[in-house]
Amino acid sequence: MIRKTVLLQCSPERAFSLFTEQAGQWWPADRRHTEDTASTIRIEASGRFFERASDGTEVELGVVRRFEPARRLVLDWYPGTGLANATKVEVSFEAVDGGTRVTVDHDAGAASHEMFTRNAPAYDRSWDAVLAALARQG
Amino acid sequence: MNAFDALGNPTRREILAELRRVPMPVGELALRFSVSRPAISRHLRVLQDAGLVKPEERGTQNVYAVRVQGFRAVREYVDSFWDVALSRLEELARR
Repeated sequence: MIRKTVLLQCSPERAFSLFTEQAGQWWPADRRHTEDTASTIRIEASGRFFERASDGTEVELGVVRRFEPARRLVLDWYPGTGLANATKVEVSFEAVDGGTRVTVDHDAGAASHEMFTRNAPAYDRSWDAVLAALARQG
Repeated sequence: MNAFDALGNPTRREILAELRRVPMPVGELALRFSVSRPAISRHLRVLQDAGLVKPEERGTQNVYAVRVQGFRAVREYVDSFWDVALSRLEELARR
């Protein structure tokens, strides 16, 4: 699992809204799934998580499993592995001194669970542990 | 095919799980699966192109082994996505 955190200088409400309604503003331009590097990307309470190019082309990027404004998001995440092997992303928003701590936990499903966790229950889900174990094998 | 696409196939993930335990040649690997040897060879080719396995010459045959650096690349792909995304989010919040 990959964990990333960032401290945003705004309220949890605003952080959540930036993350969901304005995802197109922070999504890396080189990881778009349409031809439009300035496409709109939205994570909605309706459950939709999609990208829309200026020509109207839409691509589903996943499914919203939990949508708890100013608190938490859980997403099935298609980019990288596709619908059949969706990974899981959980985002939490926590009010702290100076703003909001946003924590992203990305469980890189296809590789970490299926291949490693199931086959090597002794290892935890940490990719570092997995890689260290692999490195020891040479 | 990139590593994520290569990992999207269950047979290939099982091949990797086998090779992770012990490196082996294609023939030996094929005995452990219900799919044909040519099919295993094709899967190995995809895994090799994705940088997830590497062939090593042993005598007259190639023995396939898991390539650690390939998995690191998968992790870095996800890492770099979030590094870029969260720094942009940080800028947005300051506006």
